[in-house]
Amino acid sequence: MKANIFGKKIVFYIAIIVIWQAVDTADVWPDNIFPSPIEVGEDLIYGISDGSLFYGIATSMWRLIIGLAIAIGGGMILGIFMARVETVNQTIGSLVLGLQSIPSVAWVPLAILWFGLTDSGIIFVTAIGAIFAVTINTYTGVKNIDPSYIEAARNMGATGTKLITTVLIPAAFPYMITGFKQGWAFAWRGVIGAELLFSFLGLGFLLNVGRQLNDVSQVIAMMLVIMGIGILIDGFVFKRLEDKVMSRWGLR
Amino acid sequence: MGKIEAKNIEKYFEHDGKPLKTLGGINLTVNDGELVCIVGPSGCGKSTFLRILAGLEKPDEGEITLNGKKLHDTGPERIMVFQEGALFPWLTVKDNVEYGLKIAGIPEKERDEISKRYLDMMQLTQFENSYTYQLSTGMKQRVAIARALVMDPDVLLMDEPFAALDSQTRDLLLVEMQLIWQKTRKTIIFVTHNVPEATVLGSRVAVFSHRPAVVKKLVEIDYKRPRVSEDENLSVYEKEILQALRSQGTD
Repeated sequence: MKANIFGKKIVFYIAIIVIWQAVDTADVWPDNIFPSPIEVGEDLIYGISDGSLFYGIATSMWRLIIGLAIAIGGGMILGIFMARVETVNQTIGSLVLGLQSIPSVAWVPLAILWFGLTDSGIIFVTAIGAIFAVTINTYTGVKNIDPSYIEAARNMGATGTKLITTVLIPAAFPYMITGFKQGWAFAWRGVIGAELLFSFLGLGFLLNVGRQLNDVSQVIAMMLVIMGIGILIDGFVFKRLEDKVMSRWGLR
Repeated sequence: MGKIEAKNIEKYFEHDGKPLKTLGGINLTVNDGELVCIVGPSGCGKSTFLRILAGLEKPDEGEITLNGKKLHDTGPERIMVFQEGALFPWLTVKDNVEYGLKIAGIPEKERDEISKRYLDMMQLTQFENSYTYQLSTGMKQRVAIARALVMDPDVLLMDEPFAALDSQTRDLLLVEMQLIWQKTRKTIIFVTHNVPEATVLGSRVAVFSHRPAVVKKLVEIDYKRPRVSEDENLSVYEKEILQALRSQGTD
């Protein structure tokens, strides 16, 4: 069954490349607008051989990880407070909903003014783009905790931080993972978007360089890399974490 | 030591915007080492009363004292066993049982010894590394009871813990519960809507009335243990309890 699905995928992607190559050979569009898969492949190999691709990936990933870590930490704290303190929810909670509707790239001008063209600016955009998704999911998660868990814990003597770390966070974890997953997706978009506009290293920068050099195959190559990393992190990090938590919590 | 006393407990709930009196002044004294069952019609507030004893809810009137001392908040000297167990699905059976000890800051080695003892008592040793989703309802309640017993509480409060069990499992646990009680001599207050269950377990059975609930009758059951539910000699007591339940009209 699994092999069958995998086989379908392989056939599908090979078909795309074959059609792509066929369209290129048919010379519908000129090469500087529509590169062949071979040219894109060559660009990737060139990027790998001179190290620029790895450097770009490492830079973007580093910013992503820091930004996402801030978003997860801050979002969890904010979400827990919103769920546990009604006043926080009524005040900050309404602001969070509004802020979440701002696309991450819309924070870029402010980030440039505040931080200049620095890593901190890009990390700021990454973190702020992701934090509210984590906040809202954490809030929902804590709100949905079976009240008897909290009562049992309080009854056994758990209060304050102990109650938060031993019950609230683990009990809300299935929801939080959804928040992390959404947060990561927003963060990844945020990093690339910010790098494009900051034009300061990273995959988004390389993408922009491709445009400036009128090098379509580099643009497409970078987009493929960005997509590839997305698939890898979704599939290997979050999917696995989610599966593990869902079965452990008895939700699947 | 665990003598717990409820004095004139009143509790109101909001119903259609108006306060609805649920507990109409409950007076009940449970002596140290006694096993008292509370029965009453559904919705009469017997679970609410138990939650007030546990300190999970505040009474609107009256007070609770433990060994003569007035109680204000919840605490590990009165451990509650919830109807659905309220076990933590993210922890193994052993970690669930050790939870309260961990919160109390008891070192790992000691925790291990204590939990082993109660896991053994509840016949859970071979499941100690399982997660709750791998357990049957009966097993879960065993874990919940073990988790309560490790705390060595003065009073054990049980809120219809066997309501969701099939009758075979329940009969088995009813016998075990009596053995545990005889062994530990804990003060136990056990809420149930099941009259035969109350008769098998209780040294005394407090019969609650309809809303607003008061203690309608206290039935003393002086009969040898361990009792089993099919024992016909218990039917006298059952009858007495049922009559007390029925005598209050339906309003």
